[in-house]
Amino acid sequence: MATAKNVRHHVVIGSGVAGSQAAETLRECEPDARVTILTLSSLLFYNRYDLPKVFRGHRDWREFLAYPAEYYRERRIGMRRCSRVAGVDAKRRAILLDHKEEIRFDTLLVASGGRGYVPEELSEFRPLMHPFSSYTEAMVAANEVPDRGHVIMLGGDMIGLDLARTLLDTRHRVTLVAGPQTFWPHEVGADERPGLVAALEKMGIEVVEGADAGGIASIEKGARGLSSRRVLFKDGTELYGDVVMPFFGLVPSVEFMLGSGVDIERGLLVNPALRTTNEGIYAAGDVCQIWSDAERRYRFYYGWKNVRAMGDLAARNIAGGADPWVPAQDETLHVTADGNIQSPFWEYE
Amino acid sequence: MGEIKPPSGEPGAPAAAQREYLSDDPRDIGWVRQNVPCQTACPAGTNVPVYIREIIERQYGRSYETNREANVLPGVLGRICSRPCESQCRHGWAGNGEPVAICHLKRVASDLKDAGHRITERLYSPTGKRVAIVGAGPAGVSAAHDLSLLGHDVVIFEREERPGGMLRYGIPEFRLPRGTLDIEMHNALRLGVQMRTGAEIGNGAGQIPMSRLEAEFDAVLLATGCMAASPLPLQGEWEKRDLRGLEGVEYGLDFLVQMHRGVKKTVGRRVAVVGAGFTALDCARVAARLGAQEVTIHIRTAEEYIPVTQEEIFEAKREGVRIKGLRTPVGLTAEGNRLTGIEFVQNRLGGWRNSGRRQAIPIEGSEFHEPCDTIIIAIGQQTVNDFLGTKLELDRWGNVRVGVDGMTSHKGLFAAGDYVNGASTVVQAVGHGRLVAKRIDAWLMGRERRKQVVRIVPVEKPLRERAFDFIPRQHMPTAQLAERMKDGKHEVELGLDEKLAFEEAKRCYLCNLRYEIDVDRCIFCRACIEVAPRNCIKLVRGVEINEDGAYGKLLETKEWNQVGAIWIDNNECIRCGQCYTACPVQCISISRCELTEVEI
Repeated sequence: MATAKNVRHHVVIGSGVAGSQAAETLRECEPDARVTILTLSSLLFYNRYDLPKVFRGHRDWREFLAYPAEYYRERRIGMRRCSRVAGVDAKRRAILLDHKEEIRFDTLLVASGGRGYVPEELSEFRPLMHPFSSYTEAMVAANEVPDRGHVIMLGGDMIGLDLARTLLDTRHRVTLVAGPQTFWPHEVGADERPGLVAALEKMGIEVVEGADAGGIASIEKGARGLSSRRVLFKDGTELYGDVVMPFFGLVPSVEFMLGSGVDIERGLLVNPALRTTNEGIYAAGDVCQIWSDAERRYRFYYGWKNVRAMGDLAARNIAGGADPWVPAQDETLHVTADGNIQSPFWEYE
Repeated sequence: MGEIKPPSGEPGAPAAAQREYLSDDPRDIGWVRQNVPCQTACPAGTNVPVYIREIIERQYGRSYETNREANVLPGVLGRICSRPCESQCRHGWAGNGEPVAICHLKRVASDLKDAGHRITERLYSPTGKRVAIVGAGPAGVSAAHDLSLLGHDVVIFEREERPGGMLRYGIPEFRLPRGTLDIEMHNALRLGVQMRTGAEIGNGAGQIPMSRLEAEFDAVLLATGCMAASPLPLQGEWEKRDLRGLEGVEYGLDFLVQMHRGVKKTVGRRVAVVGAGFTALDCARVAARLGAQEVTIHIRTAEEYIPVTQEEIFEAKREGVRIKGLRTPVGLTAEGNRLTGIEFVQNRLGGWRNSGRRQAIPIEGSEFHEPCDTIIIAIGQQTVNDFLGTKLELDRWGNVRVGVDGMTSHKGLFAAGDYVNGASTVVQAVGHGRLVAKRIDAWLMGRERRKQVVRIVPVEKPLRERAFDFIPRQHMPTAQLAERMKDGKHEVELGLDEKLAFEEAKRCYLCNLRYEIDVDRCIFCRACIEVAPRNCIKLVRGVEINEDGAYGKLLETKEWNQVGAIWIDNNECIRCGQCYTACPVQCISISRCELTEVEI
């Protein structure tokens, strides 16, 4: 019989799709175990894929929550919000929180996801950009863009292009400064790109190839009487808009794992069973690079279905399984017969 | 504690100076080594807490001189040091935040000292001994400075037109302005060191044979560094092919040296740099300034494990450089005599090497190709020995083997820096140059003339406030991208101003402060334990003594009847002074302990 002393403590870092799914599966697999989610967010798990709805007038945070608080209580899943992890000591199986609290674990699942990447050469202009990777950021951006306002989108990954669809639907103007990260995480060949860019233009997005203008020289506040943002290119051309939003793909949130003893390249390196180089630590979602036997390399798998499946698989393997990772969704970018772009990364249940 | 010697303070000096004393007790020397991790980690042994404290007091000139006691190039190393001290800084230990920006503060001392600042040197009377040094890099110049202070006549033979070695010919000006280098080189050599530039050692025409140096001088020091680029090990048809004839192939070290000699360098549109050290990063950043559109550094392991600072990586990325990990080049592709790309094999991470570096293990069947127009090979450097004209004992890496006295297998022939240790860092070269200078002096004079002791100075009250512990690390301001990319010389890091420097300096725990409880006066009230922010005050039944005589492990106990003392664990202590303030019977004392050298 499980007693307070001998139950295992499973800790999940991250309350996104992967982390929440993992906690749910862990509870199913090990009814007596202690399951704790640590999240930096002040909100319970919400659907990041739903965030464009803020431009359709949905502003109440409660509308975005996937589950009410009772859901976690009923399942005895401890939810620690506003908890920033400062470091992980893999040997001692201890997590140090930023406020100096130490949490011991038997197994740890890192599902801290990724944050919006901003190329280092643009980092000094961060204060003038509006990212869109959390509810708070979405609300700030939505409040900043006026009715029928003009959004300048940099990069144009699939998260951004999904938002662009909503912006166009809601009668905003969207100008995309395209570059290597356009269509990320799809890997688009040079021969496919013109057709896809044409499809974007058909959707109503105005496309500027950043490289044709020599790249971005600076982002500035617009002068009095002009739009509030100006993007200046190295060839001297410029764009005016109400907000500048960066969409250059995701970068894994792994800083707190540096020095933990777990192998990292860009993300946490995991075997096909999603276990890191430490036997008690697993990873799932946008934070991990999974070894692919077929491709002979470590690679990321993106998309809601993949991430959820990773959370589920990692939890089952933590509970004693040894199943390998099998991708859960198609990664091909399509142009439909009527010339519209269709991405599997836009499919969300 | 320790051997008490007469006070060193002059009559009329402050009371604390009157009460200071010097100790050669191994417990005191061991205490400093264990408790001042930055100084212990510094190959030159820089007294970090003292120079940071002097910055807090806004005594920048004195701070510069404190640096200069250990390293004659503070302004240089304040810019390009590899910072082994910061990775050991107690402020960076788990739960304590980020390490203090020790290197940036070193630069502060150099930047903010007064113009016309007075340099302090401790000169010995002339010995009549002559020492030749081959190579005017950081090891050679540091050794020359110290040997000339000790009264020896020193002549440096340098094959390039100007002194500095890798500092001048291997490091780009956007990281190390030549004005700073020139001043510090001049200061290091102005005490009578003769500098003979354009003087190449060897047996060819116009060269000076080693045998002549050995005949004319009492001792010769070889400090020629590692000046040959390591070849790139490839497989298959590329294994034995000489890459130097292939258009688009550059070796990193040669690329930088030629550029700094004044040769105009060009690169293709897509540049691939292979390597993971400072040279690789420098080459990539130079390539970006030369107009390359895509610059990628290819590394065998991952960013986390490469031996360069995170700030350098970030600045390189800001300049458009990309880093791709887990790959090893196994071949090249070419059209005719022109490079078109690189064949890589995918790696996985392996264990740790003895050197502390991470292993990369190639994955069979995972080869892939990446196109490029220029490859810059920067995987390491090697020593060159053919100029010697004589055979010296070498180690397995081809570096010269020396004894504990710094001498090679030839009597009177010493070696220092990268020429002995292989490609290392500037601060290691400076530290080793100084060490070997001391060995040469002992050999020439027949005895050691200086020894290390601990200066212990009572401190009246805590020098820190608890609030200082919550100051975040101050970031180095940098030049705007457009400015820095205009030419190859615009310095990227702008230096901390006085305000930033003051904030950053306050973060230092001043680990050289030793807090002790006088057990005879302690009333075991636990007031100090109650206010301690960490588990730093312990009930102990005893303390182990290490083999070297230093204090070892604390033997803790929770049983009051076994408590022999309440002991401040200086390893955990962050010198916040809370215990000192809380103690009702003033049984806690503070003393500043610093390593110094005295005449024997």
